[in-house]
Amino acid sequence: MIKFVVFMCGAIVMSFEILGSRVLAPNFGSSVFVWGSLISVFLAGLSMGYYLGGRLADINPSSRKLALMVMAPGLLFLSFPLYGGPISDWIFMKDLGVRFSPLVASVALFLLPSVFLGIVSPYTAKLMICSLHTSGKTIGALYALSTFGSIIGTLVTSFYLITVAGVNMLIMGQGILLVALSIPLYFMHLTCDVSQTGVDRLMDDTR
Amino acid sequence: MLKIYCLLVVSLLLFPQQGLALEPSEKMLFEKNSLYQYIQVIEDTAKKERYVRNHKREYTQGGIYVDAPDKLLFEFTQLIFVSLAFLDREPKDVLFVGLGAGAMPKYFAARYRDAAIDVAEIDPDMVTVAQKFFYFKENEKMKVHVEDGRLFVKRAKKKYDWIILDAYQNDYIPFHLTTLEFLNEVKSRLKDDGVVVANITSPYRNKFFDSMVMTYLKAFPHLVLFKGKKSANFIFVATSGSEAKAKDSVEARARKIQAARKFDIDLTDFASRYEPSETYAWSGAKVLTDDFAPVHLYQYQKSGAP
Repeated sequence: MIKFVVFMCGAIVMSFEILGSRVLAPNFGSSVFVWGSLISVFLAGLSMGYYLGGRLADINPSSRKLALMVMAPGLLFLSFPLYGGPISDWIFMKDLGVRFSPLVASVALFLLPSVFLGIVSPYTAKLMICSLHTSGKTIGALYALSTFGSIIGTLVTSFYLITVAGVNMLIMGQGILLVALSIPLYFMHLTCDVSQTGVDRLMDDTR
Repeated sequence: MLKIYCLLVVSLLLFPQQGLALEPSEKMLFEKNSLYQYIQVIEDTAKKERYVRNHKREYTQGGIYVDAPDKLLFEFTQLIFVSLAFLDREPKDVLFVGLGAGAMPKYFAARYRDAAIDVAEIDPDMVTVAQKFFYFKENEKMKVHVEDGRLFVKRAKKKYDWIILDAYQNDYIPFHLTTLEFLNEVKSRLKDDGVVVANITSPYRNKFFDSMVMTYLKAFPHLVLFKGKKSANFIFVATSGSEAKAKDSVEARARKIQAARKFDIDLTDFASRYEPSETYAWSGAKVLTDDFAPVHLYQYQKSGAP
């Protein structure tokens, strides 16, 4: 289950990035500046999420908290059609120039969800290491799953989804998916007993 | 991070190889990978023609006769001018979205010297190519704006008599220049009784063509089509005036402009190809919107029209 969550979050990040190009085009065009803004903001979001996720994972991690991290971007996506258009139109009206307009719009629309989705990987890694003790293998597998999810998300969205449904509907669909994933996660009761973690035990052994 | 690098590497590997085979009579004058496309300038020494194209021969964007650079080489560029017969007055303010080799704005400017011309072109290298190889020159009456066409239209304060949409490449159509929202923005930049003309390529009748007809019909009250004979181009002429222009009035006006402006192309013949949009309208086709516009798929799908 928890591995599936990592896979899906990887898929949804890239799917959202592909859809992001469609969200920006009407107001900001499809110049290199738009692509540059889009990609760098997603990377910024992910790196902030990775950092934050690692820090949060060290404070009483539990699958219940993880569920909230997954649900938050889900709720953002579900309400995206409500704020996406108005924010994008407002930034267009402000006219900050061909470079800054799409950059600011990307930050406003895409940064927060990608921070949350970035949190998922390190947080899950911590939860799984606690229960498995084989940290290298676990972390490797999670990286692979997350990136494999991203590949699938990119391909499915650009090859198929975009040809069958509207952009707003697809983003809301991702929201529904994230919320649906977070519910069973919330009731899983996977926790990390701080005194019993593999890392701590390892530390004890080496001492 | 890693995933983006991987994606970049894969896309670079998939990027089609350049320097595709040239005919013995062809020589390459220039090539460049610009920000948006691979640009090739080719001269055919036997035919004495010069083209600008991407990768393949089918992807030719524009061209000129080397000995007569002021003539229009391609049929679709000639056919575009029939839309002037839908205008009851002289076009004073004109907007071209998409420059190509710059043949059309140059040809127009030579016949309508008083008109103020704006050209929106996204690719700065295309502007350089048009100037260097195709005798295109900017002046106080004709200005090129290096900007995304949609943004230029949205930001434009001015209104135009005649707007020419020619920003689609055969292998790449920017979806945000096909949607109902875009056409409404174009319409809002049109003076009363102004004319919009677009060049749509459709080698066989494909879903993209069907959707474009329906999208234009949703944005504009009147649409007339003209079909290319030598190429797979359709010229869409849309007007927002209260009355549609009948075929005989377009033919009469074409005859008049032909003589008055010394056109070296046969506008009267073009006008006789007038086809009302009902011929092609098919209600089963989807209207393209900012939310839903799968243009790249529709290009390769056959029309479902009966």
